[in-house]
Amino acid sequence: MTSHEVLNTADHAELRVRTEAGTALGDAVMAALVVPQEFRQVQAHYPIVFRRDAENGEFSALALFGFENGENLFLGEDAWDARYIPLSISVRPFLIGRSRDEGGEAQVHIDMDHPRIAIGEEGTRVFDEHGQATPLLDDMSEKLGLLHAGYETSKHFFEALARYDLLEPFVFEVPLSNRSKQSLVGFHMINEDKLRSLDADALGALQADGYLMPIFMAVASLSNLTELVVRKNAKEDRG
Amino acid sequence: MSGEFTNLVIVGGGTAGWLSACILAARRPELAITLIEAPDIPTVGVGEGSWPTLRETLAVIGIDETEFLTECDASFKQGSRFDGWVDGSERDCYYHPFSAPLSGSMPDILTAWKMQNDGQPYAEAVSPQAAICNRDLAPRQRTMPPFAGALNYGYHLDAGKFGALLASHGVKRLGVRHVHGKVTGTERSVDGLFTRLLLDNGSAIEGDFFIDCTGMASKLIGEELEIGWVDRSDVSFNDRALAVQVPVVPDSAIASQTIGTAHRAGWLWDIGLPTRRGVGCVYSSGFLSDDEAQAILMNYIGSRIAGAEQTALTPRGLKFSTGYRDKFWAGNCLAIGLSAGFIEPLEASAIVLIELSLKALADGYPQSRAALPRLADRFNSLFRYRWERIVDFLKLHYVLSTRTEPYWQAHRDPATIPSSLAAHLDLWRDHAPSSGDFPQIDEIFSAASHQYVLYGMRFPQPADISSAPSSEVQRQFAKVAERSRALSAALPSNRAYFDALCSSMDKNSARGVPTRQ
Repeated sequence: MTSHEVLNTADHAELRVRTEAGTALGDAVMAALVVPQEFRQVQAHYPIVFRRDAENGEFSALALFGFENGENLFLGEDAWDARYIPLSISVRPFLIGRSRDEGGEAQVHIDMDHPRIAIGEEGTRVFDEHGQATPLLDDMSEKLGLLHAGYETSKHFFEALARYDLLEPFVFEVPLSNRSKQSLVGFHMINEDKLRSLDADALGALQADGYLMPIFMAVASLSNLTELVVRKNAKEDRG
Repeated sequence: MSGEFTNLVIVGGGTAGWLSACILAARRPELAITLIEAPDIPTVGVGEGSWPTLRETLAVIGIDETEFLTECDASFKQGSRFDGWVDGSERDCYYHPFSAPLSGSMPDILTAWKMQNDGQPYAEAVSPQAAICNRDLAPRQRTMPPFAGALNYGYHLDAGKFGALLASHGVKRLGVRHVHGKVTGTERSVDGLFTRLLLDNGSAIEGDFFIDCTGMASKLIGEELEIGWVDRSDVSFNDRALAVQVPVVPDSAIASQTIGTAHRAGWLWDIGLPTRRGVGCVYSSGFLSDDEAQAILMNYIGSRIAGAEQTALTPRGLKFSTGYRDKFWAGNCLAIGLSAGFIEPLEASAIVLIELSLKALADGYPQSRAALPRLADRFNSLFRYRWERIVDFLKLHYVLSTRTEPYWQAHRDPATIPSSLAAHLDLWRDHAPSSGDFPQIDEIFSAASHQYVLYGMRFPQPADISSAPSSEVQRQFAKVAERSRALSAALPSNRAYFDALCSSMDKNSARGVPTRQ
């Protein structure tokens, strides 16, 4: 259930949101959407993989936190064990909306059914007592703006990847220390052979659009799969 | 390790006694500790404000923060606010917060502060804590790890309940032996060291080292060893207090700071706990009668505490003399707490002095008789220095006042101002207080504390200020303002914090989750 409202000082003057990490706050997720603009920060911690929507065939990029649904190997007791948290995760319970008018401006919306909506008087205020945005909302607005621009970029980014046929499906057998088997299926990654064989014109075009760096960041990010396996085994060992 | 002093005996079951037992049991597990408590001696119970040091002490002892907060009816203390100390006018108010001011050179900071055209008080300009205190907000969120905060904090607490918690923790978890009885006599060896304490029930307790926590009675250090008393009532005039506990209405705001309000011949303390306010009137009997003090106290309660039923309140009178022992450590006996000395609770120095005494003892616990005199000398000179720093620092609050009542004028008489303080005041006209003025390790009041009081009380800017503040310091000032905004939004009110804490504890016990004993 979600209940989206346009954020405004009249309805949300006293609103507080919870900013800590936790399973009950919706952080137990296996992956989150990421945008090319943040690939550099994302690849410092997480593998970046791609998934095709079964219905419309469109690709999106994901940061992986675990190997099965509901598994977030970066989620500690009450904190996220990584210095960077993807934008789509950190903006919750805020989202980008549009006004009802055709082609209206992007607005800050809020999901009032999200577990991050604080009940009671603890949590961080969105507006101060004078109705001014608090630093939290300033930060959220900035991140929503980045995310909004990122979604726009993503469309063209994936068109370019398709143009050069740079995505290929992959299966990752998770090498667990207890010898049980687990496979990661249904994702795509950058086809490095194809990337390596691109000619100067193609590389020049990708570079001109700013896509070359995110592509290489995505390639580099896959070394984090090893780190993810280490976290998985550590979790299994703890029982 | 088997030293010559492994059998430790503590006399007295107040805050000092039980803190001594718990800290030494935790820090020196090789000791066998016995605490003797006389059942018929009421504890003084006015040491109800702590410094941030108590967080570390609780962690060392092994008491969980949530357990401490709920068991002791405690709340957070983020500093002190002084009302009416400068001139007694309506808006006369300044903070001495626990968080350090922004970093930078003092000449730069003072210039940047002076250049702010909005006339913001010093504490508000250099730290976000005053803004948080103004809003009655807690220094931490419940989801933060125990003993961690967004701002530095100590506690306000119910001293009686704190003593009971320490006693139960000390006996059940730390193996302290608890003996009920009154010490009626002592036995000493030929070289003057205590060997046995004789109790009223006819039994005797043997020991190698003895801690006197008998409060103002000073059973061992005063009565038995006849160690002299250094009287400082010539500097610190107050000698009486009237104390009372006032119940509060359930959803009233809980202040984040101790409020010290000056009156014509002393001051009032006001300490907010979740269920009550502890209020007291401190005064000098030479300038104010007991009846006048009672009237000042009741007038304060009537004007400041909503719904207080004054007729139901019976203030308790305390008489005290200001000073400290000529020696705190003599032979194999150390005085800790009120037996060591007393000064009015203007900067809540009682509990921290206990903590510092125990730190010094645990760090340099004697192993052999040969070391005793040297350890005692070192302790005595360190704590004489600390007492003198406290005497000076409290006096500073009075000498900077411009109030005109006879009591306040007497406080500014140069004959009553210690020469060390007079010298510092001269120095601070030249440059702002700096760590160079307070060169000891673990100085009891830092240069920053002196700056908060000095510039809170409108002491003139020193000669050493810069012509224009550096851009770095200006950035720091902007950061303080930004952090004030961010913290104001993110921190819950004290009341919301403690209501939520209580309801989460109730839920746990309803679910059958074992509560901590």
